[in-house]
Amino acid sequence: MTETLNMDLYARTDTVNELLARYGVKFGIYKNGTFREQLFPFDSVPRVIAKEEFAYLERGLKQRVTALNLFLKDIYNEKKILKDKVVPEEFIYASSGYLAQCEGVVPPKGVYSHISGIDLVLGKDGVWYILEDNLRVPSGASYPMIARELCRRSSPRTFQSISIADNRNYADLLKKTLDYVNTGGLTVVMTPGRYNAAYFEHSYLAERMHEPLVTYNDLVVENDHLYFVGYDGKKEQVGAVYRRISDEYLDPMNFNRESVIGVPHIFDIYRKGNVALVNAPGNGVADDKGIYYFVPKMIKYYLGEEPILHNAPTYLPYYDADMEYVLDKFDNLVLKDVAEAGGYGVVFGSKMSAKEKEDFIALLKKEPRRFIAQEVIDFCDLPILEKEGTVDRKADLRAFVLSGEKPVVWKSGLTRFSRNPDSFIVNSSQGGGFKDTWVLNQ
Amino acid sequence: MGVKSVENMDRLYWLGRYSERVYTTLKLYGVRFDSMLEEGIEGYDEFCHSLEIPNIYTSAEDFRQKYPFGQEDPNSIYSNLKRAYDNAIELREEIGSETLAYIQLAVYGLNKAAKSESPMIEFQNILDDILAFWGIVDDQIEDEDTRNIIKVGKRVERIDLYARSGIDRDSMIREVHRLCGRIDRCSLHYNKGVLEHLKELIASEKLDYPAIVREIERILEV
Repeated sequence: MTETLNMDLYARTDTVNELLARYGVKFGIYKNGTFREQLFPFDSVPRVIAKEEFAYLERGLKQRVTALNLFLKDIYNEKKILKDKVVPEEFIYASSGYLAQCEGVVPPKGVYSHISGIDLVLGKDGVWYILEDNLRVPSGASYPMIARELCRRSSPRTFQSISIADNRNYADLLKKTLDYVNTGGLTVVMTPGRYNAAYFEHSYLAERMHEPLVTYNDLVVENDHLYFVGYDGKKEQVGAVYRRISDEYLDPMNFNRESVIGVPHIFDIYRKGNVALVNAPGNGVADDKGIYYFVPKMIKYYLGEEPILHNAPTYLPYYDADMEYVLDKFDNLVLKDVAEAGGYGVVFGSKMSAKEKEDFIALLKKEPRRFIAQEVIDFCDLPILEKEGTVDRKADLRAFVLSGEKPVVWKSGLTRFSRNPDSFIVNSSQGGGFKDTWVLNQ
Repeated sequence: MGVKSVENMDRLYWLGRYSERVYTTLKLYGVRFDSMLEEGIEGYDEFCHSLEIPNIYTSAEDFRQKYPFGQEDPNSIYSNLKRAYDNAIELREEIGSETLAYIQLAVYGLNKAAKSESPMIEFQNILDDILAFWGIVDDQIEDEDTRNIIKVGKRVERIDLYARSGIDRDSMIREVHRLCGRIDRCSLHYNKGVLEHLKELIASEKLDYPAIVREIERILEV
């Protein structure tokens, strides 16, 4: 029965994609110096997660994000985890995500990572593995949210007959999270502008939350408070900024002094507790690929618990024993540059030529802190629809944890898949598509 | 929604103007397209002259292609629709995805028309999209100020285009009255003296079209 109903939805993939095009569900991409808007291909075969399985993920994700929030508070304040030598200092201070300006700062209500995007894959051994934590400005929730709306419209029978947790509440959850930390006044969504890759998401979330979408031009700091300046010069106080702009461009007076964007002194008033910046600046130190290795240790250290969710087996060439292992098993490993994101800086040992391998190993020995190595996880393929039927492709899952008064895991997620049969890279910027993620109610 | 940024006020106004420009020029072009079907008729020069756009076209065929679809031609329908889209895309949270969708559909329609043997059929769909856009502005945008700014832009543009194309006096009077009835209902700052002068201009028996164009173009100069 379920399969028949799903077939009804599958048959309407083109309809859903046409509707996504109608609503301008796109992402921006720069290629050869030119900006283009591109539709994000949707595949209507969902990733389905059983209720019990999601409950397990939920526990693990809450645990992980709680520990990461405690880590951020500790790193920018007492530094107990460094003093106790659980994490080596150099992994903090050499991280590009560490911001000395955040030392001693505690954000409103003590929340650092309000929106956490945690990337996971399901191994063929049936185990979920965390691939990375995104604690700066994780994007992607808007896509399954709008896709669900359009799938329901396209195939009502499917949703009448299968009980699936409604994921269209993401904007409500986000608004609640922002309201919790709001220090008084408006909540705004701050975008770098329409030429940002995730501009659709910025504008769509602002629309769904009924909050203004602003750029740095619309905001001004006066008398230690932040204001949204309207057409008549009328100013309205802002208490929370859901900023979709990276730390370095947030405030030219405190970060990148050469930047022509950002709101001068916004960080100063944040430091005084007069506005919430969401997510908190400086979070990059906790989602650094090098720090990823230490997250299970953080969970034990801060919570006294065993990690519920597993990291992919990871090695730090920084440690001699790990370097030895990496060199020995080089062809079996995937190597990641900790400074890169979006699927860039990822290389597979098995795919390198002899010369490339030689050059890479020389670089690895010279800059061991720059790389991590991971076992290549044989993760489950998911079926995607092609003209000739379904074919299996690699797919991951980005789960979203919203941390206000308590962490809440959104009952859905962004499932991204590779359209290339030979690729593990699922990022939209590299040609991937997306699926809805269904969490079953029973 | 409460406070509006300067940029959004500007975008709303220009969204109104460009959506109207696409609508009216597409209709005017449709009339011209039809009359140019017979060989030897090269009325595009007159068309360009009436809209005060440079005649950069080398032949009737060149005009038929470039005026609606020319991506490099700043006066083409494509360029005007792109400007409408560029404003709309930055107003999603203000006007809503359902409203924005009609401008997006018009863009897809024009791309489709560029590849069509019968572009007029596709143009009809674009006109329908723009009419639907104006309809949904009324139906779905809750904020009265937002609605009125878009409509003021539309009215200003229509007066401008009507004056350039020498429309009949009754139509011009109707459009100026529509603008007068709308402009005080939104928060846009405008030049009251210009509006008074426009009223005087349409009161005369013989319309001074160049003067109307000059005046309407400076309505927001305060």
